[in-house]
Amino acid sequence: MSELSHRLSISIPFENDKQASMARKTMAVDPVLKSNELLIKFNQEENKLICQFMGTSDRVIRVAISNVIDNVKTIIECFDEFDGKDDVQFEEKQETI
Amino acid sequence: MTVDLDKYAKPGKSYYIALGLEGSANKLGVGIIKHKLGQLSDSNRAEVLANIRDTYVSPPGEGFLPRDTARHHRNWVVRLIKKALSVAGVKGTDLDCICFTQGPGMGAPLQSVVIAARTLSQLWNLPLVGVNHCVGHIEMGREITRSENPVVLYVSGGNTQVIAYSKQRYRIFGETLDIAVGNCLDRFARTLRIPNDPAPGYNIEQMAKKGKHYVPLPYTVKGMDLSMSGILANIESLAADMFSSKGGKKAVDEETGELITPEDLCFSLQETLFSMLVEITERALAHVQSNQVLIVGGVGSNERLQEMMGLMVRDRKNGSVYSTDERFCIDNGIMIAHAGLLGYRMGQITPLDNTVCTQRFRTDEVFVEWRDD
Repeated sequence: MSELSHRLSISIPFENDKQASMARKTMAVDPVLKSNELLIKFNQEENKLICQFMGTSDRVIRVAISNVIDNVKTIIECFDEFDGKDDVQFEEKQETI
Repeated sequence: MTVDLDKYAKPGKSYYIALGLEGSANKLGVGIIKHKLGQLSDSNRAEVLANIRDTYVSPPGEGFLPRDTARHHRNWVVRLIKKALSVAGVKGTDLDCICFTQGPGMGAPLQSVVIAARTLSQLWNLPLVGVNHCVGHIEMGREITRSENPVVLYVSGGNTQVIAYSKQRYRIFGETLDIAVGNCLDRFARTLRIPNDPAPGYNIEQMAKKGKHYVPLPYTVKGMDLSMSGILANIESLAADMFSSKGGKKAVDEETGELITPEDLCFSLQETLFSMLVEITERALAHVQSNQVLIVGGVGSNERLQEMMGLMVRDRKNGSVYSTDERFCIDNGIMIAHAGLLGYRMGQITPLDNTVCTQRFRTDEVFVEWRDD
């Protein structure tokens, strides 16, 4: 088994601790497919989500980070649109879908 | 004895409302369904509050790739959820659960949608229900057509199965051994460079109507199963000869000697594939001594398939064919909401840690707790 010599850590700030915790739980569920090539650890520190990447090459890490960022975008969009709005009736905007 | 569907009803509430998210292939669907307390019946039917869909359409000659499809879903999922809630006139607090497609399907698109489901579930404190895509099709088809216990032909871009219910499982009687019927049609559409809008299969269907000559193709029923990759390879080579600039061995009709057109090929492909589907469905009917057929899945919206199935069933005593229109046939969110809500009413909720999506999830793995006939 090759060594996970390449490491990188990113810190993503959220509006509050609760959101950081929810983001962690949402992403931590999915397993990494090639665990001998890549390891991702999610930790929450107050309102920050710390994502640690350990991989066999820079390429592996780049792909993994890109994927995490894509997921974070969806999560933040959910926060922006839905947080605290479970009692709000959304009105249809004239949007082309 | 019938199943008690209301063991988990909220006190003082006379109905359930579920949100369903579907994104296992190139369609992103969001649906909201309402069930009143009690058994679903002709007088107590599920109510569709919202059922919206956005399809990722790839250029002619190209299929949809997992990465691009996932990007499409991520782009639209939140907007579609908001739109569904507004169309339905429903607030987060009105919902009982969030249902999502857990499989089978393409990994990246499934995963992009479940991210939104998990986040929303935590934000609004709602339980998640993972749904088998095939069971979603079956349950929605049964509810829309009110067919009691049909043999189900599930035909789409990713699946081809003949299914019959027995003892709380949807059991697979026959299935494709290689590619799905929809995949076969889609890939042939790519060979002919037919547009993928609104759907490649729809465009093949329209061209097939103009076909006049039948070109013999391999007919590959294997017992209760089918094989379609050889048929595709065969017809693709016919099409390649047709478009080859070198001339030479272009296919001609055996009787009239007229040149075979792309329309003829579409016609012949449909006739061959659908005959095979009708044959295994008929055999399944004989096995389970049923006379009802329910066609679900995207290819089920093909009217020629419905017609051919009708011809077969007409010869059987009291036979009937049930099919739905494109709103419910083609992948949609409402079927996920409906099947998920049936599970939810039996207490089947999926803890966050078990919400990992899976590309392989067979129809018969699902415990159909909500039926006991």
